[in-house]
Amino acid sequence: MENSNDIVIDVKGLRKSFGDNHVLEGLDLELHKGENIVVLGKSGTGKSVFIKCLVKLVEPDEGKLEVLSKDVQHLTEEDELNALRRKVGFLFQGGALYDSMTVEENLKFPLKRMPDKPSYGEIDDRVHEALKNVGLEKAIHKMPAELSGGMKKRIALARTLILQPDIVLYDEPTTGLDPATSKEISELIVEMQETYQTSSIIITHDMACARITSNRMKVIRDGVFKYEGSYEELKKSDDKWLMDFFE
Amino acid sequence: MKIVGSLPGSFQDFFINVAGIGRFTSRFFKQLFKPPLEWREVLVQAYQLGYNSLFLVSITGFIIGMVMTLQTKPTMEQFGAESWLPAMVSISIIREIGPVLTALICAGKVGSGIGAELGSMKVSEQIDAMTVSGANAFNYLVVTRVIATTVTIPILVVYADVIALVGSYVGVNIEGDVSPTLFYKQSLDILVYSDIIPPTIKTFFFGFAIGIIGCYKGTTADKGTTGVGRAANSAVVISSLFIFVIDLVAVQLTQLLI
Ligand SMILES: Nc1ncnc2c1ncn2[C@@H]1O[C@H](COP(=O)(O)OP(=O)(O)O)[C@@H](O)[C@H]1O
Ligand SMILES: [Mg+2]
Repeated sequence: MENSNDIVIDVKGLRKSFGDNHVLEGLDLELHKGENIVVLGKSGTGKSVFIKCLVKLVEPDEGKLEVLSKDVQHLTEEDELNALRRKVGFLFQGGALYDSMTVEENLKFPLKRMPDKPSYGEIDDRVHEALKNVGLEKAIHKMPAELSGGMKKRIALARTLILQPDIVLYDEPTTGLDPATSKEISELIVEMQETYQTSSIIITHDMACARITSNRMKVIRDGVFKYEGSYEELKKSDDKWLMDFFE
Repeated sequence: MKIVGSLPGSFQDFFINVAGIGRFTSRFFKQLFKPPLEWREVLVQAYQLGYNSLFLVSITGFIIGMVMTLQTKPTMEQFGAESWLPAMVSISIIREIGPVLTALICAGKVGSGIGAELGSMKVSEQIDAMTVSGANAFNYLVVTRVIATTVTIPILVVYADVIALVGSYVGVNIEGDVSPTLFYKQSLDILVYSDIIPPTIKTFFFGFAIGIIGCYKGTTADKGTTGVGRAANSAVVISSLFIFVIDLVAVQLTQLLI
């Protein structure tokens, strides 16, 4: 793990402000191949902004940002940027399923827009495999509005993984779900990570999810990663502020 | 910038919008010629917006044709120029009322629909999701819709003109007896190319404005549920305003050139 060649995300001194709102004030993070880092932090501390910088949904103000050895900020060619984005899956907080499309069309959407688009047969196979992975083959013809919160998250996960990304960024994958469903989703994340050998950054404030999914945790406070360690290590900490998370 | 800054808020907003729409339009033309064009989605959008507006356009077209005829009739009778009634109504409809009224209705129906749809996609991060999956969301969502409105709204205008003439025919016949062939002759014989071509050209601009403004407002919607409502609402207000401005410019240009 200490080999610097297997670093898939390398962030140094990342800063981002919106006007006077200084959200990120120098973040450093190294994600190694096969690793799951959980990023913990209170609401509005810039966790989503951080992972959005990684795929250039948000332009950072300052700092080094390398994803899969590509300098994201200076990736000006649209084709290159899109190629990188296909290797980085992004699970949005609300799932972000396309309302006007069926589950099947949702899953096919990214596949059909690849530059070397797979054959129809292969697209169908991959859709079925992705649905099987999340245990929802029967939902293939449903519209997103007909799905429960947990099912939406599963479909969104299937859509995120369908391009077989190397890295997956999860934005609060269990928020808004009941504890039992949260646990299922967390276990599914680990299962998919093992199946497809992905590396992930998982944003959450659900401690059960953090315990199940994390190899390492980083806690954001006042715009920087203030604490770092394994779940067990952080749990033992006697920092008052940190202890509130584990209650 | 100083002048704009000292204007009342609503005026400032207007100029900010115009600048934003300008940038958005130039982005549209840059993207338009970049493959792949999502043809299937263009057809879906064109079909949907045509189909969804058909009823409204039919009813208003028919009523306006009939009402204009009934309103003008007494005046024409006073001058003993009854036989000119169909011609007068058809010229007003084809040159002005048909295009502007249909465009305004479409601004309300289609423009707000696009604003709300794209606004809710933006707010629920669906547009971001498309972007990060390596797809060109602008191509898929904006280019398709703008092409669809630019092509479909002129067709709806021609359709509305025809329905309005039918309404006018019914209006003439409420207290009279004019045969369809005579009405047809009286209303259309007078038309020359300059009555038909310039108004048709301007409808493409109406369609373009409705599409581009709906998309602009939708894709720049603010977070939260009120953002979607505001996007839909200002799409209607701004595109209606643009329709009047385009109409004014088109009329002036026509008079200069012909
Ligand atoms: N596009 C934006 N424009 C202005 N402010 C933003 C934008 N995106 C996020 N912010 C601000 O950045 C801060 C962090 O937001 P976010 O990353 O969503 O927090 P969270 O840690 O809950 O995910 C918030 O104060 C939010 O208001
Ligand atoms: Mg967030």
